[in-house]
Amino acid sequence: ILNTDYPWILNHDHSRQKEISDWLTFEIKDFVAYISPSREEIEIRNQTISTIREALKQLWPDADLHVFGSYSTDLYLPGSDIDCVVNSELGGKESRNNLYSLASHLKKNNLATEIEVVAKARVPIIKFVEPHSRIHIDVSFERTNGLEAAKLIREWLNDTPGLRELVLIVKQFLHARRLNNVHTGGLGGFSIICLVFSFLHMHPRIITKEIDSKDNLGVLLIEFFELYGKNFGYDDVALGSSDGYPIYFPKSSWSAIQPIKNPFSLAIQDPGDESNNISRGSFNIRDIKKAFAGAFDLLTNRCFELHSATFKDRLGKSILGNVIKYRGKAR
Amino acid sequence: QCPHKWKKVQCSLCKSKKHSKERCPSIWRAYILIDDDQMVKPKVLPFHTIYCYNCGEKGHFGDDCNERRSSRVPNEDGSAFTGSNLSSELK
Repeated sequence: ILNTDYPWILNHDHSRQKEISDWLTFEIKDFVAYISPSREEIEIRNQTISTIREALKQLWPDADLHVFGSYSTDLYLPGSDIDCVVNSELGGKESRNNLYSLASHLKKNNLATEIEVVAKARVPIIKFVEPHSRIHIDVSFERTNGLEAAKLIREWLNDTPGLRELVLIVKQFLHARRLNNVHTGGLGGFSIICLVFSFLHMHPRIITKEIDSKDNLGVLLIEFFELYGKNFGYDDVALGSSDGYPIYFPKSSWSAIQPIKNPFSLAIQDPGDESNNISRGSFNIRDIKKAFAGAFDLLTNRCFELHSATFKDRLGKSILGNVIKYRGKAR
Repeated sequence: QCPHKWKKVQCSLCKSKKHSKERCPSIWRAYILIDDDQMVKPKVLPFHTIYCYNCGEKGHFGDDCNERRSSRVPNEDGSAFTGSNLSSELK
C-alpha cells in the first residue's frame, strides 16, 4: 500500500501531525537523511581522493590536491561529481602540456577513464571517471578562490541552522528541472547557497529570534519559494554582504555591473570580490523564477488538500514528492 | 439576472476577503515558536537586519515598500516579509 515512488517516506509516516507545516518539516528531514551518504560511501570517496593525490605527487612532488565545491561542504546530491584543484609550490601547472601529462599519468595508472581535457576554457580542467568507484571527478589547476568560498560556506553552515537542509531541497528541486547547471543558464551551487543564506538571515521571525529554523523547515521552504518565485525584485535588487551578514542593495548602485544589459537578472555579489557577480551566468532566471513560483503553488495546494483530508486518506502520502521529483536509485 | 452571480467570500480563519477558509495561508504559515521563558527577545530590532526585497533599501520589509512593485507576480495575501509578521511588541 505504501508509495515506493517516494522511498524516504517508508517507515516515516507523519500523516497524523496536526499542523501540516510540521508534517512538511519532518518530511524534509527524512529526505535529507535519505540522500545523505552512508559511512561506506564517504570512505570510498575519501579513498578515491587520496589515491589520486598520491598519483599526482608521484608525477609532481611539489603539487597537492584539494577538494572544494559541494563535496567539501557536504552539500551534494547522490551521483554529483567531485571538484578538485591542483596547487603547486612552483606554479604553472595549468599550462596545456601539464593538463595532458596529468591526464595520461592517471590513465596509465588505471585511475581515470572517459577522460576529457578542456584546455581552452576560462578555467582549464580535466574531467574523468575514476574506474573503481565510478565517481566523476573534475580537476582544475592553480586556483584558490574555490577553496576560499568552500571555507566561507562551511562557516555559514555552522552558524545558520536549517541552511544545509533547505539548500539540499532547493538543489534537488532545480536538478530535477535541469535548472542547476550554469552552462545552460541555471543556478550554480554557490548562488543557491547565497539565496537560502540571505533568506534565513532576513526572515522576520528569525531576526527576532522567535523561531528555531530547524523546527520550522516546512514553512520556511514554502516561504523561500514565495520570496524568490513571487516577490523578489530581480530587476532592481542585488544580494550582497556587509560584515559577514547578508544584505540587499539597489542594483543601480553597483557600479561594477553597469551598464546592465538584461534588467531581469539575478545579481549576487561575490563575498570574496565585490566587483564579481557570481550569478552572471544564470541567464535563465525567468524559468528559475517560474519554477520557484510553481513550487510554491504545488506545495501550498498540497497543504490545503491534505489539511482537509481524513487521516485515512493522508496515510502514506508525501508532500514533497511531486515538488522535488527525486528519481534516484533506491538507497 | 446572471445565474452565476459572484459570490462574496470571506475567510472565517483570518477575516480576509481574498480567499476562502479552505485556502487560507494560515493553514501552512504556522510557526513553532521558541518557549517564552527560553526566548531571548530583542527589545528593539537592529535596523541593519531589515531589507526590502522590492527596492533593496534597508529599514522596511518588501511587502511594506512604498515604491512601485518590481515583480509582475501579484502578492494578494501578503508574504512572510512584512512588518505584520513580527511579534506584536516589535511592530
